Amino acid sequence: MPWDFEFTKEQEELRLTIREFAEKYIAPRIIEFEEKRRIPDDIIDGLAKLDVFGVVFPEKYGGLNLDPITAGVILEEIVRADLTFSLAVAYLVHTSWGYIASKYGGEEFNEEIITKAAKGRLWIGIATTEPHAGSDVAAIRTEAKRDGQYYVLNGEKAYISGIREAREQFPDGGGHLTLAYTNKELKHRGMTFFYVPMRSPGITYRLEKEFGRKGWSFGSFSMENVRVPEHYRIGDEGRGFYIAMEGFDHARAYIALACAVGSKRALEIASEYIKQRTAFGQPIAKFQGVQFQLAENWARAEAAYNLAYKALWAIKKEMEGKISRFEVSKYAAAAKYFAVETAKAVIDDAMRWMGAYAYTEENPVALAMKAVKSYDWAEGALEIMQLIIAREVLGKEFIK
Amino acid sequence: MSLNIVVLVKSVPDPKSPVNISPEGKLDLRNIKYVVNPGDKYAVEAALQLREKYGGRVIGLSLGLPGLADVYREVLAMGVDEFIYISDPLARDYDTLQTSYIISNGLGKIREKYGEINLILSGVEASDTNSGQVPIQLGELLDIPSIFYVDRILEVKRDSVIVKRIIEDGYMIIEAKIPAILAIADTSYEPRIPSLRDVISARRKSIISWSLNEIMREKLFEAGVRLAYVKPVEIKRKRKIIFEEDVDKALDKFFEELRRDNVSLGG
Repeated sequence: MPWDFEFTKEQEELRLTIREFAEKYIAPRIIEFEEKRRIPDDIIDGLAKLDVFGVVFPEKYGGLNLDPITAGVILEEIVRADLTFSLAVAYLVHTSWGYIASKYGGEEFNEEIITKAAKGRLWIGIATTEPHAGSDVAAIRTEAKRDGQYYVLNGEKAYISGIREAREQFPDGGGHLTLAYTNKELKHRGMTFFYVPMRSPGITYRLEKEFGRKGWSFGSFSMENVRVPEHYRIGDEGRGFYIAMEGFDHARAYIALACAVGSKRALEIASEYIKQRTAFGQPIAKFQGVQFQLAENWARAEAAYNLAYKALWAIKKEMEGKISRFEVSKYAAAAKYFAVETAKAVIDDAMRWMGAYAYTEENPVALAMKAVKSYDWAEGALEIMQLIIAREVLGKEFIK
Repeated sequence: MSLNIVVLVKSVPDPKSPVNISPEGKLDLRNIKYVVNPGDKYAVEAALQLREKYGGRVIGLSLGLPGLADVYREVLAMGVDEFIYISDPLARDYDTLQTSYIISNGLGKIREKYGEINLILSGVEASDTNSGQVPIQLGELLDIPSIFYVDRILEVKRDSVIVKRIIEDGYMIIEAKIPAILAIADTSYEPRIPSLRDVISARRKSIISWSLNEIMREKLFEAGVRLAYVKPVEIKRKRKIIFEEDVDKALDKFFEELRRDNVSLGG
């Protein structure tokens, strides 16, 4: 097996095109994302024109059919420009869950929904969490009942990203892969996944005032007799839980990369600062106390970055049928766990070196600090990541 | 009407990557990453817009070091139909007149292969050498009009082109016979950013490579100008903080400081 840390020429060329857009149009406006609690339409539209919303989707439905590593290269450039992580959420949730939807959705669903998702006309999100059920996915209460060629959904989803965007910002709206019981007695074997458009009649929603990454909405929605056609069912009845777990692996790997790249970028910004800023007659960077912190943080961020790509590589290999789903879960959990913990520590130090200068809502490093806190829980709590790693390393029999 | 447009593109050291200068005053370009000259992308954009308006074909042409073909994929991704690359190990050693002469021979071969060229577009200058002489010299060598600092191409007629040209205090509208060479300013033709799909498709387009022997009708003359040495400017920084509540007084002190340091204030 080759062991090579180089990206292909094509990946570097794709990176350049996104970097050009990101440096020119995204980076100068991230404060606006936070202040207006919205990504400006022209940025969504610009990214859509660059094919950013169709990276991993099948060519047959208008996607580029690129692998998760290449999708990671694009994510890197988005995060580097937008340390609020608002666009990272927009991209990585849609990329992970849109891919899962295209994989398990039928022909009719893909023709109708994925073709629009690939063009960035429609956004795909994820809705598993409920007010009383987060990491404990089996505790959800949402139910779906069949009614002829439809399913009727009732329930409530909480702490969901992108409700507003899927309702009103994308030209053709969007929806969330929503986990519901079709047979409660079977527990997690009785769960089914549905694509629920946020413009459906019967949906009401409420947005939270989130702590960070304010450019992408975050809130709850409830479903009262929401009817979705049969072809919006993603995968077979009873497979929802397993499909959700697969999607979480994808999202976790991308989150890990976003956190690693955010850490690296924060270190770059802070390093420039400590080279310029003097104290007691010399640049702060000349103090060994700071150098030791820098060295440790740099090494950690680099390790997190490589582990994140290892997880994306594992997903790629799993897609090719070369490694098992369990291997993917292990690497994705390890990558997310390590990268999130790393990002919080690295960005915290970066802010500390920058002193009062960093303690504003306009400093990208401070915005990154707020953003990465969301990954303590988003797409699985860090403790759950540790349980997954332990389960895969020790064996299922050691896990309750 | 359908136009045959050639756009000249140069590969230059990435303006973002540092260039080392040896103690002997030579540029050390060994580990340099090359990119498309940023100013040339405005010419590419202008060419593509002309093709969209009038139809036809856009051919990219460059003279550069061997092994840099991939640099030009970016302009293929923008939408240039074909790219021809005169690959030459001495490409960075020629003076501007030699370069113009080689390019004029390249244009001759393009004419043989693709038919009459209607317009030749270039950037105003390259970000590495900043001479801005090639477009004018090419006009002389080919005996065609050359127009510098073109802001916008207003109209292409059967045998002429009307352009808006930037001058110091405004602009002028010029009509010139075609074929003509137009050096496009970085003002109104904001270069498009290729989509991911465009980048992928560009990898399937081929870049045609010509050697000097294939295009030159006569032996190349000696260089008239050569780079003697490069000396980096030594920058000494110092910082002084002026404490003064009144802004006008603070400014007076500031200018006084500058004068004391013999800083030229112009005017």
